[in-house]
Amino acid sequence: MTKAANIKKEKRADDLIRSALKRQQQALSEYEAKKLLGLYGIPVTKERLSRSADEAVAAAADLGFPVVLKACSPKLMHKSEHGCIELNLRSKEDIREAYGRIVGSVDLELEGVLVQEMVPGQRELVIGLARDPQFGPCVMLGIGGIMTEVFEDTVFRMAPFDMIEAKDMTEELRYKRILDAFRGQKPVDMQTLCRALRAVGQIGLELEAVSELDINPLIITPQGRVKAVDALVILRRDGNDRID
Amino acid sequence: MIESIKDSPLYPIAKPQSIAIFGASNNVTTMGTGLLGSLLDLGFTGEIYPIHPKEDQVLNLKAYRSVLDLPTVPDLALIVLPTRIVSETMDACGRKGIKHAIVISGGFKEVGNEGITLEKELVAVAQRYGIRFLGPNCIGVTTPRHKLNTTFMTYEGAAGFIGMASQSGSFVTQMFNYLSRHALGFSTAFSVGNEANIDIVDCLEYLSACPDTRVIALYIEGIRRGRAFVETARSIVPKKPIVALYVGGSETGRRAGFSHTGALAGPDRLYEGIFRQSGIIRAQSIIELFDICWMLGSPHRTAGRRVVIQTHSGGPGAEAADACGRLGLELPPLSSETIKRLSSLIPHTGSIGNPVDFTFGKNMMDYFSAIPEVLLEEQNADVLLYYFSMPNRTLERMLRHMGVPSDQIAEMAPELLDAQCDAIIRLVETHDKPFVGYTFQSIYDKLVRRVVERGIPIFQGPERAARAIAAAFQYTRLRDKILASVSPSVSPSVSQR
Repeated sequence: MTKAANIKKEKRADDLIRSALKRQQQALSEYEAKKLLGLYGIPVTKERLSRSADEAVAAAADLGFPVVLKACSPKLMHKSEHGCIELNLRSKEDIREAYGRIVGSVDLELEGVLVQEMVPGQRELVIGLARDPQFGPCVMLGIGGIMTEVFEDTVFRMAPFDMIEAKDMTEELRYKRILDAFRGQKPVDMQTLCRALRAVGQIGLELEAVSELDINPLIITPQGRVKAVDALVILRRDGNDRID
Repeated sequence: MIESIKDSPLYPIAKPQSIAIFGASNNVTTMGTGLLGSLLDLGFTGEIYPIHPKEDQVLNLKAYRSVLDLPTVPDLALIVLPTRIVSETMDACGRKGIKHAIVISGGFKEVGNEGITLEKELVAVAQRYGIRFLGPNCIGVTTPRHKLNTTFMTYEGAAGFIGMASQSGSFVTQMFNYLSRHALGFSTAFSVGNEANIDIVDCLEYLSACPDTRVIALYIEGIRRGRAFVETARSIVPKKPIVALYVGGSETGRRAGFSHTGALAGPDRLYEGIFRQSGIIRAQSIIELFDICWMLGSPHRTAGRRVVIQTHSGGPGAEAADACGRLGLELPPLSSETIKRLSSLIPHTGSIGNPVDFTFGKNMMDYFSAIPEVLLEEQNADVLLYYFSMPNRTLERMLRHMGVPSDQIAEMAPELLDAQCDAIIRLVETHDKPFVGYTFQSIYDKLVRRVVERGIPIFQGPERAARAIAAAFQYTRLRDKILASVSPSVSPSVSQR
C-alpha cells in the first residue's frame, strides 16, 4: 500500500470509529466491523444491509442464493446466542419468513438486517486482537469458530510482526493440519491468512479506540480461500490505558 | 544494543573494583553481616568498605562512620538496611559520588501502600544523582570469575557459562549446589527484585555482551518493558540462545473482555507466543531450564532433529527411542555404509538398527571408541544419543574374572575408565556432531563424572536427554526464523523508558 493510500485508509477507518463513538456505541455493528476489516485488506463476506423484507430479497437476488440473514446492531455482541441468525436461505419466501423471525426475536432497535453470502467450508479459524498492558496490541490465531473455547488451540504474537512470524503462528497451532489439504479440500491460502494476521496487528497499532477484536469465524473454503464471516470490534471511549 | 559489557550500567555492579557495604556489623545473625561474610568467603579481591555508625571494625575490616569519610569513591554501594533509611543512604552515596548500587532491602513496592511511596522516593533520589541500581528487594549479583557474590549463600563450584537474570529473589542462590553437581556454574547471575531502576531487559543486554556467557537463562514472573524485551531478545538469539522459565501468570491481572480473544488472552498463552516471537526457548521446570542450558552451552549446541541412539541394553534404548518420538525427533535408518562398518563391531546377539544395541561383546572398548565413531560419521543423523553404563564394581569384577591379580585391579580399573573417557573426549573433539549422553547411574560415578567434567552433557534418563536435544533443534529453528526476517527487530524503534 502506498503512503497516500495508507493515510486515506486510516482516515476512513478513523471516521468509521469516530461516528460510532459519537452514537455512544460500545462496539461496531457487524456491518461496520466488516467495513473496517475490508479497509485493512482482510477478505470479508459480500453483504448488504437491508431495512425491509423487500430490500432483503433484492439484496439476495444481487448477491446470489443461498444467503444468510443476521440481525445487525452494535448492541448484539454474540449473535448466535440470541437466535438472530438464519442460515442457508434459498428462496424469496425463505428470506421473507426469516426476516420476520429475526425482527421478532430481538428486543432492540436494529441497524437493519444483514444479507450475506453463504460461505461454504467446514474449517473455521478465529483471529483476534487483545491489548496487554506490557506488550501492547497482541494478535491471536486459533482453531475454532464456535468451538474455539473447546479446542483452546490459540497462539499469540505482539504486533507488529512480519510474514515469517505470521507463518510461524500457523505452525504453532496444535491442529495446524486443518490448514493443509484435507478431505478433498485445498490447503489454505497461506499468504492471505498471514496478511490478515498482520492487518489485525496494524488495526491494533493504528486505532487506539479499538480495544478488542474478534474475527470469528474466519472460514476456509474448500478452495482454500479465507473469508471473515462474522466480526466483533469492541470500542473504548478513552485512550487512557494505551501503552507508552 | 551495547557492544561491550563496559557500556552497561550493570558492569560496575557485576564487576566492581571496590564496594561500600551498608548493614554489615559484628552481629553475625544479621543479613548484612551474612552478605559480607559470603563476599569474603569467595575471596573478593577489591576493596571492601563497611559503613557502620558505631563500629571501628566489622569482620576485621576497617569500618567507616559515614560513606562521606571513605578515602575513595567506591564503584558500588551494597545496601542492606531497614527500609526507612535506604533513601537517605542512597542520598549520602550520591553526595559521595557513587554511581551504582544494589538495594537488597525489601519493604518497598512489593508490600504495597507505604512501600510504593518509599520506592518512588528511592527512585527519585537515585535519579537526582544519576545512580543506576539493582533492586530493591533482591539478592544482588554473583560473578564467580570476579570473586563477587553479594548473596547470602556462599557460591559453590566453579564459574560457568550460564548467564542468568531472575525475578525470584533467592532462586539463583538455591541453584549453586545443583549446578556445581553437574559441573555447571554461572558466568553472572542477577536477581532483579522490583526492577525499580535496572530491569530484566538491561540484564539481557549485559549478558548478551558478556564474553563468559554462552547461554542466557531467565526466571520470569512478569515482564514490564514488554516491547523492548521482545526486540532485545530477538537481537540476541542469532548469537546466543535464551532459555526462560515462566510459571503460569496470575489470572487476577487479567481484564474481563467482551471478546473471545480477550477471554483467551491469559498470561500463560500470551507468554508462550511472546517467547516464541522473541526466539526464546521455554522450559517447563527448573530442572529442564538447566538441562537445556547444559545442552546449549556444550561444545556443539545446534542440532538437527535426526537422532541415532547407541545402547547396550534393550530397555534404555527403547525408552530413548520412544522419548525422541514423543518430542518430535526422528530416528533415521542407518546408511548402508554405517551398517557395513558396524557389522564387524556388533555381535550377532546385538542389533544394527536405530537404536544400535551392542548387547555384550568381547571387545568392550569398541563401545567407547569404534562404534560411536562410526555413528558420529553417520550421514543420516544429526545427533548421537549415547547410553552410559559402566558401574565401577562391575568393571572390577570383570577384571578379577579375567585373572587380573587383585592388587593390580585397583590400578587397572581407573586406567580403563580413563581410557574410556579419553576415547569419548577425543571423539567429541574431532567431530562436529553433537554427542549427548544419558544414564541411570549417579552423576558422581567415575566414568560419568569424568566425562561431565569435560563439559559433555550426560542426562539422568533418556527423557531429559531427548528434551534437551529437542530444545537444541528448537534453538536452531528459532534462530533461523529470526535471521530470515528482513530485520531482526520487529519494528524500527522502541523506547518505552
